[in-house]
Amino acid sequence: MTTSIDLRETISDKPLIGLFRLMRDFRLIYLGAALSLGVAAAARSGTYLLLGQFADNILGGETAAQSLPLVALGFLGLAGVTGVFTFISGTLAARTSESIAQRLRNYIYDHIQRLTFSYHDQTKTGELIQRSTSDIDAVRRFFAEQAIGAGRIFLLFIVNLAALLYLNWQLALYSIVVVPFTVLMSFFFFRQVSKAYEAYQEQDAVLSNTLQENLTGVRVVKAFARQAFERDKFDVENWEKFTRGKRLLLMHSLYWPISDILTGGQMLAGFTIGAIMAINGDISVGTYLSYAGMVIWIIWPIRNLGRLIVQMSSGMVSFKRITKVIQQEREPLCEGDYTPADCLRGQIIFENVSFAYEEDNPVLQDINFRCEPGQIVALIGSTGSGKTTLANLLPRFYEYTSGRITLDGVELKRYPRNYLRGQIGVVEQEPFLFSRTIRENITYGIDREVSEDEIITAAKAAAVHESITSFPNEYDTLVGEKGVTLSGGQKQRLAIARTIIKDPCILILDDATSSVDIETETEIRAALEGLMEDRTTFIIAHRIQSVMIADLIIVLDGGRVVQIGSHEELLSQEGAYRKIFDIQTRIEAELEKEIASVEKLAS
Amino acid sequence: MTTPYFEEEDFTTKFNGRTILRILSQVKTHWQWIIGFVLMIALVSILDSYFTFLSKRIIDEGIVAGDQFALRSIVTQYGLLILVQAAGVFGFIYLAGILGERVRYDLRQKMFNHLQDLSLSYYNRTPVGWIMSRVTSDAERVAELVTWGLLDITWGLMNIATATYFMIRINWRLGLIVFAIIPILVIVAAEFKKKIIIEFRKVRKINSKITGAYNENITGVRVVKAFGREDRNMNEFGELTSEMYRAGYRAAWLSALFLPTVQIISAFALGSIVWYGGLQATVGNLTIGGIQAFVSYVVFMIWPIQEMARVYAEMQQAIASAERIFSLIDAEPDIKDLPEAVDPGTIQGDIVYKHVDFQYEDDDPVLEDFNLHIKQGETIALVGPTGGGKTTIINLLGRFFEPTQGQILLNGRDYKELSLNAIQSRIGVVLQTPYLFSGTILENIRYGKLEANDEEIEKAAKLAGAHEFIVNLEKGYQEEVGEGGNLLSVGQKQLISLARAVLRAPEIFIMDEATSSVDTLTEALIQKGMENLMEGRTSFVIAHRLSTIRRADRILVIESGKITEMGTHAELLRQRGHYYRLYTSQFRSELEREYQPFQAATVATD
Repeated sequence: MTTSIDLRETISDKPLIGLFRLMRDFRLIYLGAALSLGVAAAARSGTYLLLGQFADNILGGETAAQSLPLVALGFLGLAGVTGVFTFISGTLAARTSESIAQRLRNYIYDHIQRLTFSYHDQTKTGELIQRSTSDIDAVRRFFAEQAIGAGRIFLLFIVNLAALLYLNWQLALYSIVVVPFTVLMSFFFFRQVSKAYEAYQEQDAVLSNTLQENLTGVRVVKAFARQAFERDKFDVENWEKFTRGKRLLLMHSLYWPISDILTGGQMLAGFTIGAIMAINGDISVGTYLSYAGMVIWIIWPIRNLGRLIVQMSSGMVSFKRITKVIQQEREPLCEGDYTPADCLRGQIIFENVSFAYEEDNPVLQDINFRCEPGQIVALIGSTGSGKTTLANLLPRFYEYTSGRITLDGVELKRYPRNYLRGQIGVVEQEPFLFSRTIRENITYGIDREVSEDEIITAAKAAAVHESITSFPNEYDTLVGEKGVTLSGGQKQRLAIARTIIKDPCILILDDATSSVDIETETEIRAALEGLMEDRTTFIIAHRIQSVMIADLIIVLDGGRVVQIGSHEELLSQEGAYRKIFDIQTRIEAELEKEIASVEKLAS
Repeated sequence: MTTPYFEEEDFTTKFNGRTILRILSQVKTHWQWIIGFVLMIALVSILDSYFTFLSKRIIDEGIVAGDQFALRSIVTQYGLLILVQAAGVFGFIYLAGILGERVRYDLRQKMFNHLQDLSLSYYNRTPVGWIMSRVTSDAERVAELVTWGLLDITWGLMNIATATYFMIRINWRLGLIVFAIIPILVIVAAEFKKKIIIEFRKVRKINSKITGAYNENITGVRVVKAFGREDRNMNEFGELTSEMYRAGYRAAWLSALFLPTVQIISAFALGSIVWYGGLQATVGNLTIGGIQAFVSYVVFMIWPIQEMARVYAEMQQAIASAERIFSLIDAEPDIKDLPEAVDPGTIQGDIVYKHVDFQYEDDDPVLEDFNLHIKQGETIALVGPTGGGKTTIINLLGRFFEPTQGQILLNGRDYKELSLNAIQSRIGVVLQTPYLFSGTILENIRYGKLEANDEEIEKAAKLAGAHEFIVNLEKGYQEEVGEGGNLLSVGQKQLISLARAVLRAPEIFIMDEATSSVDTLTEALIQKGMENLMEGRTSFVIAHRLSTIRRADRILVIESGKITEMGTHAELLRQRGHYYRLYTSQFRSELEREYQPFQAATVATD
């Protein structure tokens, strides 16, 4: 398990430093992984040194028969050490990488749900998903495979080279002539390959899109009988992918043999020089044997170094992208010094309140009104008039930029956000339900244990109990892709049930009865009326029928209040509200006229 | 609704010989390539073992014998063979790699082509995502198996065989000892790999849960905040990541254990070489070079074993992939031309639904004993609640589905006697949510008639009322519409799909009107375009707009698969039934949209 750390402290302009800070608590473990690799490499070299000793001093010697079992045991022991330390290194690296991945996953998840509304308004879901899944996985692979893999190659090189230098330094130096070239070549090659691979992947995306469009547009394809055309279209993209894949392969099929010749040539050169030295008596046969064994471990792995370096750099790019999200400011949920012990009464006063997402572009301006506990306030206006934004100020989803809002006589900013949100219930226009059971969706907003009765009562009050019992698993039916698909009206009533059980002091309703049929509309309306009793309620209204019951109607336009008052008051005044009302009355009149005319015509 | 049939991970556990044969038959046209890369990899593999043997000779014949001349000749041979091997490496990468791409291409194309023939019923029961995985990842896995999988197996087998050959040649007793260890290694390795694959599958499953959790919490973040669920969500998610940690760690742990285990087993072989080999050497049966060669053979033998174990383990997955691919290719279209199907040249004439029953798959019947007679040139408006069967009626007419019972007659003939093309090429359809393909507007309209020239397209666009908005776009007809047409508004998409239908000049016109609101101007344009299209054609409209409904020759109120009311607008209004209610509520909301009371009111007060 990981101890949690605030990842904001790990941020650095340099990704390598950031990654190092991210490793807190695991640096020693990771170092242990690297050291174990060193031990394993040393034990392996030891095997070859022992082989040399064996050839020079034991083989053919007087005591050969007695020493042989010991030497054999020595080989076995060294192999054991190599194996055990390779394994230790693997598990330590896995612990580090998995823990860091878990740390990132948890932090990012929590961070995202605590970022501000404005941030979410501006950020695409897909982007955040990519940060939290594939980018985190890239960081995990950085630690699990790439950094440790590069470390392994490096240690094999160092340890074996040291052993070779100890055996014979001239021979050792002759043996690594091509190493710099190989490293450079592999680095450049893999950089090129990653470009070609990107092109290949791009085409893969194009091909997938073509396929997806064909499948989603299958009705159009069939309706126009365009199968042949579609086949050709797909073939073009498919063939392009084949062509790009061929290019990628051609690069590989050239790189590997060339690097084979380079490294193979180097090895052969080393063998030859070593053999000549052995023939001349400069080195013993045993030394040659050790040399021939170890040199392989210096030269061959180098060819993969370039691949690892290129992959590491893409891991760092991923980490940078994650950092950008981490840098965002969270919404301070507990900030605020006033939490009343009793339930809120719900007296709300707006004084010259203004709000703007960006400076110079106010969404709300100079809003003034006062509502008493238990009153119903209706906000009406055209799309973009600011009515939803106004309601969103109450749970402090957005912070008003000037003026003052008081709730029960206390400035709203003194209430902690999590307190307010616990006291205010919101029913949105298009409610979002989670892919959990219906029961879990209804109890989503509450922390305490709830009885079955309470859930059913809430569902009944929201007029959704009957629909629920018609599902195969009743309250345990899953919502969404893997379960039932709910209609708009059912979703809305579930959202109402979810709010009823939360039992908030203040209610915000985004009236959305426009998308449901008349019967459902009546049911929803009845459910809402029960909910509104004794609660200060804000209704975001789209039609005049929904506002007539309100104690206070606020007509908004362009972020300003144009009219305010009760239905009767507003009707008696000259102004926007009466105009709206007149238009709707006119519609009714026209309807009557139309029907009368049709009937007269027919009779 | 998901069924086990669509589970992503379903898998055959047994080794299916028939599937393997069928996979091979898919690639048999490329047999030259396969033989080519198998020969190449065999050559490379033999040379790998031979190089070790040459190293032995350098020691024995060169160093120990002190023979510079022999050394030179061995080194020359070695050097030349490096070049030969490089050529072999080039050959197998090139042949196997390109063949792999080719097999992927073939499989994708084969599936895609087959998909075009499948009926809508197949698409109704098969999620798009399922089909996508068949064409992408499953094709990938099968191609991997027949190229790199086959290659690695060949390499591994050849490597072990040639190494064994050289070991036996150097010292047969010792060679046999080493050879005895190989089966143990292979079995251990294969079992290991199987376990590792299972662990990784677990990791993948948890991973998709994690992605799902992210997705939901991000899309539902406003609800999360409104209900203050942050802490509890975090706890739940923490459990998920802990599970992921355990699974990921376990998978990594097993993988880390794999190589050392194999290495330690092979170290026993190494020990016996030293012990027994040393004894043999003292009696002169084994040279120093021979011992070195044995050590090399044993140390590097773990690679072919590791590769073969991997391929063996992956083979199961690849076979399961192949089975899924074949299930797609084997799916028969439900609606096919009868052998004696004809194209009468026109389908104009009366349309008759005679005792038609219909149901989708095993669901409840949608239509039961449905009867309708439509005269040539009539305009029919279908109204009624969703799920009542309106869409089914027009789907049957286009023969995208066929009646389960009863007949549909076109101009007096059962339409099953006609070819699909004869019917579908003479019907113009405009869908409720118009679907466009990525590409330009021009290309999208041309979809209606592929050989149409630019003038014809413009003419069609004008008739459909789409021309005006198109020329006002920056690039006009060359404007890109985006994926699925997403860069355009719903109204614009509908205008283009109208133009597409106009260009087709169909004999029967079918339209499913959009319910979503479109601005008044576009709305008027669409109406005009529809009028032009319906002129003189038998037309079916699933109607939502008053003007469309009023203009129809006959209005059908469809409820629960039955015609509950039928007649002209005036007749139906007078009945004060379903139609009356539908009409009045539609009247209200349409006028409300038209007058836009909020705007009208506030503009006036400014």
